[in-house]
Amino acid sequence: MSDTLRQPAEITYADEIEALKATDDQPKPEGWELSPQAVITYLMGGKAGGTEISAKYVGNRRLIETAVATLATDRALLLLGVPGTAKSWVSEHLAAAISGKSTRVIQCTAGTDENQVRYSWNYAQLLAHGPSREALVPTPLFRAMEDGKLCRLEELTRMGSDVQDTLITVLSEKMLPIPELNDAVFATRGFNVIATANDRDKGVNELSAALKRRFNVVVLPLPDDMDEEIAIVSKRVGEMARSLDLPAPKNVAEEVTRLLAIFRELRSGETVDGKTTLKKPSGNLSTAEAIAVTIGGLSHAAFFNNGKLTADSLAPNVLGAIVKDPVQDKIVLEEYLETVLKKRRDYADYYHSLTELV
Amino acid sequence: MSAAVSYFGIRHHGPGSARRLLEALEDLRPSEVLVEGPADLSDLLPLLASPSMQPPVALLAYPKDTPERAVFWPFAEFSPEYQAVCWAVRNGVPVRFIDLPVSWSVSGGETEDPVAAPEGESSADGVTSEDEPEDQQAEDDDQTLRRDPIGALAETAGYEDGESWWQDVIEENPAPGPVFEAVSDAMSALRERETDLPKREAAREAHMRLEISKSAKTVEGAIAVVCGAWHVPALKAKHTAKDDRALLKGAPKTRISATWAPWTAPRLAFGSGYGAGVAAPGWCLHLWQTRDDEKTTRWVARIARALRAQGQVVSTASLIETERLAVTLASVRQRPQPGYEELRDAAISCLCFGNALIWATISSELLIGSETGLIPDDVPMAPLLEDLQRQQKKARLKPEALEKELSLDLRSESGLFRSTLLHRLSVLKVPWGTPLDPGRSRGTFRERWMLRWEPEYAVELVENLVFGATIEQAASGRIRSELQSCHALGPLADLVYGAMTAQLNDAAAEGVNLLGERAGQTSDCSELLTSLPALADILRYGAAREIDTVQLGSLFERIATQASLALPYAVRGLDKDASEAMRSQIQSADGAVKLLEDRPDLLKTWQDALQSIVSEPQANRLLSGLAARLLYEADVMSPDEAVELLTRMLSPGTEVSDAAAFFAGFLEGAGQRLLYDEGLRGCVDGWLVSLEEEAFTEYLPLFRRVFSQMDKAERKRLMDALFDTVRSGGTHLIAAPDSETRWPRHLEILTGILAGENHG
Repeated sequence: MSDTLRQPAEITYADEIEALKATDDQPKPEGWELSPQAVITYLMGGKAGGTEISAKYVGNRRLIETAVATLATDRALLLLGVPGTAKSWVSEHLAAAISGKSTRVIQCTAGTDENQVRYSWNYAQLLAHGPSREALVPTPLFRAMEDGKLCRLEELTRMGSDVQDTLITVLSEKMLPIPELNDAVFATRGFNVIATANDRDKGVNELSAALKRRFNVVVLPLPDDMDEEIAIVSKRVGEMARSLDLPAPKNVAEEVTRLLAIFRELRSGETVDGKTTLKKPSGNLSTAEAIAVTIGGLSHAAFFNNGKLTADSLAPNVLGAIVKDPVQDKIVLEEYLETVLKKRRDYADYYHSLTELV
Repeated sequence: MSAAVSYFGIRHHGPGSARRLLEALEDLRPSEVLVEGPADLSDLLPLLASPSMQPPVALLAYPKDTPERAVFWPFAEFSPEYQAVCWAVRNGVPVRFIDLPVSWSVSGGETEDPVAAPEGESSADGVTSEDEPEDQQAEDDDQTLRRDPIGALAETAGYEDGESWWQDVIEENPAPGPVFEAVSDAMSALRERETDLPKREAAREAHMRLEISKSAKTVEGAIAVVCGAWHVPALKAKHTAKDDRALLKGAPKTRISATWAPWTAPRLAFGSGYGAGVAAPGWCLHLWQTRDDEKTTRWVARIARALRAQGQVVSTASLIETERLAVTLASVRQRPQPGYEELRDAAISCLCFGNALIWATISSELLIGSETGLIPDDVPMAPLLEDLQRQQKKARLKPEALEKELSLDLRSESGLFRSTLLHRLSVLKVPWGTPLDPGRSRGTFRERWMLRWEPEYAVELVENLVFGATIEQAASGRIRSELQSCHALGPLADLVYGAMTAQLNDAAAEGVNLLGERAGQTSDCSELLTSLPALADILRYGAAREIDTVQLGSLFERIATQASLALPYAVRGLDKDASEAMRSQIQSADGAVKLLEDRPDLLKTWQDALQSIVSEPQANRLLSGLAARLLYEADVMSPDEAVELLTRMLSPGTEVSDAAAFFAGFLEGAGQRLLYDEGLRGCVDGWLVSLEEEAFTEYLPLFRRVFSQMDKAERKRLMDALFDTVRSGGTHLIAAPDSETRWPRHLEILTGILAGENHG
């Protein structure tokens, strides 16, 4: 048992990767540890010889197939989706299975500059010996090109557009010029990039068209299945409530079900029975947000409502999750309240508390 | 037997097997071609190869007395049957159908709903829907398997598209051999454990066997039998002619009419209800028209063209990437070449930026296409005309070239029948009758029509054959296709109204669903408002037409609620034209909401919305004026409040243009108010007097509009009311000019009367 809080995927699942390697008889693209078929088995679950391979991604197999095929064509892969759709998780496991190493990561933020993407200089070396390869500090991208491995870019759209465009040459010519040395790094076979990005968020920098068309895009959707989502939310809420020392009232599961019903209807733009189409609010109402709303409600209940979790204690958070744009989203919510919730007897408390707040 | 019989088990509407079939026919050079299809319609076959016949077309057969039980056999350009017939005609080889005669198909399901029957029966090989109730699910599965066994095999193998499976498995067979042998083997394996066939199926195969052996006895040379792959093992099997004849006992006798009808690509597809069993006719046509080595590239190019037409930027480099990804995907999925699914997934990832919605905008155009068939002029297109004659007889209406007025009472059965017929013909753009009351004229049970028949109407009528074989089906089909291409709420509501008056309940129900969907998506208030009057009319007067309006009622409530919620936001920042348009929309929507008196909640919501327009400072003043008047007229706003509001709106602090707009909104079309309401009159008067000369001249046309709707006497009374402020208590009378001279005489008479004198 190591002291490390969390090990990377290739260590946690080392035995599964080994088992797959042992049984893998399909042709492997150059620089790959596993064949594309084995990578898909690693992600979607299955069997390798006698070893059970756990499913890392629960969802549409086709998406993973497209993602793996993309990496096999030397085109870069962009995983797009709202927060909480397992983008980074999939990216980590793809890197672990294909390259055997998932730690070549650049975390893109608004503060990321070109030096963190391409290379930077060791100034002591630079001053002492002048520009040379020794004075160069390689980035994960640089190393991945040299080693012929996968490099992961997390939250690509969070870094500035000008910095993003540094990637264009890397992606199309598989080459990173070092003008200071009149030199360049040419990528070894097996190099590729997996980027993750969030398409419905505030404060992101749109990808330039030039960069966008160098990626194949796979959009990871929110969970299809209501029960699955309820299970995810209840589990996380339980864990978080324990760590925050919040008492969990008995009716949490029931409230989560009602809350998710509202979230899912607004998110999908139609009522559960499929009879009525609805407008969608600008927020994404993800699973992660449902968790946050429930935790907020629990906290309100614990401190201000004698530990009773009611529609009243949840409503302000629900409102905050739905109404991100004060005009457009308000219309959406009003419409939903008047045309859908008003007619549902079992949601009367939500209807009243939300109508009051709107 | 003197002839060798070759069996070609094909996939109905499969371009792959069509191509192979043509090659095989060229090799075999048969002396006769036998095709799976109703034997009694063989006479119509040579027409199929006529140069002016352009698929998709359908063979249409119906019992003479009940055309609504029509059966269709659609043929597309890529249908193996069509290619076989064309080949035979080109090469001067006799060709005929060998399946059961039509009468078996049309008289099978007496119990079935007559509208549904032709749809169920329209499958390519004339398989009728079985109406044995027990074990419906298994029955359905069996039927799918019989109709498209190759598709079913493909689905089991994890393919979505049967053609790709045919390509991968049948054509790229690792053990090379004749394709049709392989298909036949596969079918034998599939049918090995078959239990008893349904009676119809057994009869069909028996009939085909008998026809084949009849040809084999008379024809010298090879015979080619083109039939659904499923039937091959059964046709090859040995059965005695006696057993087969026994199966054909009790053939129904029905007099049949048959002809060719133009068909459309959407009706070839599953989704449209007449399914010929082709999921994606556009893809099939592409496979048929394109050479094998080009089909991936050309398909990608077609995707790109469709995307560009939608305004997406698609570079040539991306097309290359798409094709590469498709090829890699195929190898990841261990298929020999990219098929339909790989190309779709690759296109979504490379060309649509992973966004499946973008793909959805082009998929129906690509996959289904919009081809419409053409048939030669000399083909009899009788069914619609025959149906019209029958209906005319029943309605006791003669087509006459002279104009004739017709008044109908919708409460009587015959009146309703006639009205329905005329409305349906209007839907088909055959304006035999023109409604005389302009606009929407129902508030009554009467309808007045002007009838006049023109000879060209017959031509226009038969052009509707593509929508259906009877007037009812054709009208319903036409409205449905219009519904699909209509995207705004207002016109949709009008179409639903049209469907309701023409008693086309299925089309109307579909329209109501579409309205619901569309209403959920739109956020355009004026679009919501425009749909209200038509819906209110249906609800209010629907009773005259025996229409079920429950669903529509809740839809109306929903749209009206949505419009009410959106209204306060929609009245801001409008220019002159937009506000004028919005004014008439609000006015008619107000009428619509008031028309339905049994919904007090709704009226309340609507009036709340009007109230919030009035109190919204950023609202367009013309509209807030209108809203104030509507509330005032509905007695929601008291006279005192109205005076207070008008005073405020016309007070000196307000911009003259704003004040004038409010004034116009409040009083235009309702100038009479000023006669009766002293308070209103007072503040209007005060405002007018306070205007500078320049402003006054500028708004003179507006004042004229407001006051011109009052007649002369009313205007005079208004003037008097304004200028004669001293008089009180019913003294709106003015002394006659000669009163001074007449008064003494009148006084005399009066005194006389009062004194009890009897005055003449």
